[in-house]
Amino acid sequence: MALIEIENLSVTFTAKGRKVRAVQGVSLSVNERESFGLVGESGSGKSTILRAICGMAPITGGTIRIGGQPLPTPRGRAFSRQVQMVFQDPYASLHPRHTIDRTLSEPLAIHGLADTDARVVQALKDVGLPAAFRFRFPHQLSGGQRQRVAIARALMLEPSILLLDEPTSALDASVQAETLNLLNRLRTERGLTFLMVSHDLAVIDHMCDRVLVMQHGRAVEELARETLAAAGMTTDYARSLFAASADRMLET
Amino acid sequence: MTLLSVENLRVTFDTEAGLVEAVRGVSFSLGRERLGIVGESGSGKTMTGRAVLRLIRPPGKITADRMVFDGQDLMQASDREMRALRGRRIAMVMQDPKYSLNPVLKVGAQLMEGLRQRDRLGRAEAHAKAVAALEAVQIRDPDRVMDAYPHELSGGMGQRVMIAMMLIPNPDLLIADEPTSALDVTVQAEVLSILDGLVRDRGMGLIFISHDLRLVARFCDRVLVMYKGKVVEELAARDLTRAKHPYTQGLLNCLPRIGGPRQPLPGLDRNAEWAT
Repeated sequence: MALIEIENLSVTFTAKGRKVRAVQGVSLSVNERESFGLVGESGSGKSTILRAICGMAPITGGTIRIGGQPLPTPRGRAFSRQVQMVFQDPYASLHPRHTIDRTLSEPLAIHGLADTDARVVQALKDVGLPAAFRFRFPHQLSGGQRQRVAIARALMLEPSILLLDEPTSALDASVQAETLNLLNRLRTERGLTFLMVSHDLAVIDHMCDRVLVMQHGRAVEELARETLAAAGMTTDYARSLFAASADRMLET
Repeated sequence: MTLLSVENLRVTFDTEAGLVEAVRGVSFSLGRERLGIVGESGSGKTMTGRAVLRLIRPPGKITADRMVFDGQDLMQASDREMRALRGRRIAMVMQDPKYSLNPVLKVGAQLMEGLRQRDRLGRAEAHAKAVAALEAVQIRDPDRVMDAYPHELSGGMGQRVMIAMMLIPNPDLLIADEPTSALDVTVQAEVLSILDGLVRDRGMGLIFISHDLRLVARFCDRVLVMYKGKVVEELAARDLTRAKHPYTQGLLNCLPRIGGPRQPLPGLDRNAEWAT
């Protein structure tokens, strides 16, 4: 049985009396310890799916099950212990006036976990930051360091699922490489399941076992990693997306 | 023909922690072509672009042995002369439409401001020109965009609005600072083809600042690779994959590739000696 099962999901926003159907009837399933990618242009609804899982988008149809259980609304504490999210922009996703220590210890306080001190130090070590960074503010860190803090924060409650929303698109190429390596290492060490959104096919290919191509809120085509690399897609849209990424191919 | 020539450009900041040199002796010349400047964040590429327009605030200081644009010495120009150049002859597209457009003014008002103030056009004429500028960057419903606030536009639309705004006075040189890094691949391709058409049709010079090496290799004619405020390598864009400098090679190698191996990506080797 799959760990994350999404069936026929629809999300509709209402803005100025106009209905925007951001996600229309998308189904996907992610197995335990698998890394699943969502790819598509902006506005294709890929981030909205992650937000819907977290209860941050109005679900108007379909079901989401995690470990076979439908999700309660509001999501509740048990959900946060199991699922955490890393956002795209490390400049916007950390509280600017909280120290790293406060950012990292807050989830522990909410969930009544002991050993705050040791856990914070260990979390920083796990993402490769010096322990002294505890007492810094986000503006005293570089973009890559902030994204490491965001990853550390997501891992504080030891979840089994990480939702990654364009985790490296705001970062330089070299820092992107470091962050992707970190995520892969953590996934192996902790047996995590990834559901990852990116518009960069090369990043998705590097990180994911399977990928769902989306366009205008609908699922276009699901591809296994091997099919993607071999250009074995069958729909025109997936092919055009692949063609636009031609410079990201492995030179042979 | 040389449009801009820069020799030994330096940008220094006198901070509490001592003198910080953001740009350290950069020299280049530009004709009516597409010049790419690549490097990591903090390598001084944005500061180089801003220094050409003398847009560095105190305590930042600009020095150069020579900085000449179309026969005019930019180091000697008065503030008044610089103001006449900015926008009209040399324009700059900033990185992020979220922060570079005025959030409380409608897009139309911002597009028309320059036309009304600088070119002294009437309201109707300015409106018509602004709509034409939006059409030139392939915005399909310019009337809706004219009447929208910046937050009502997507990133790609906002970026195109900024490009449209910069192109209204028909500049000879456009400095584009990461104009496409907020955009996804398909929109990116559209924005690039707009810029490309402008260089070709209007004979404009373009300085394209980006951290995306593959993009620059595909789009530009010539590339400067910057590291810690210095140019470590200058080469033709089509030769970028055959770069000689270990820093450029490192930047290329740390990118994931479709169909590449699953082993960890190589980290970037940063050698302090390259910057001396």
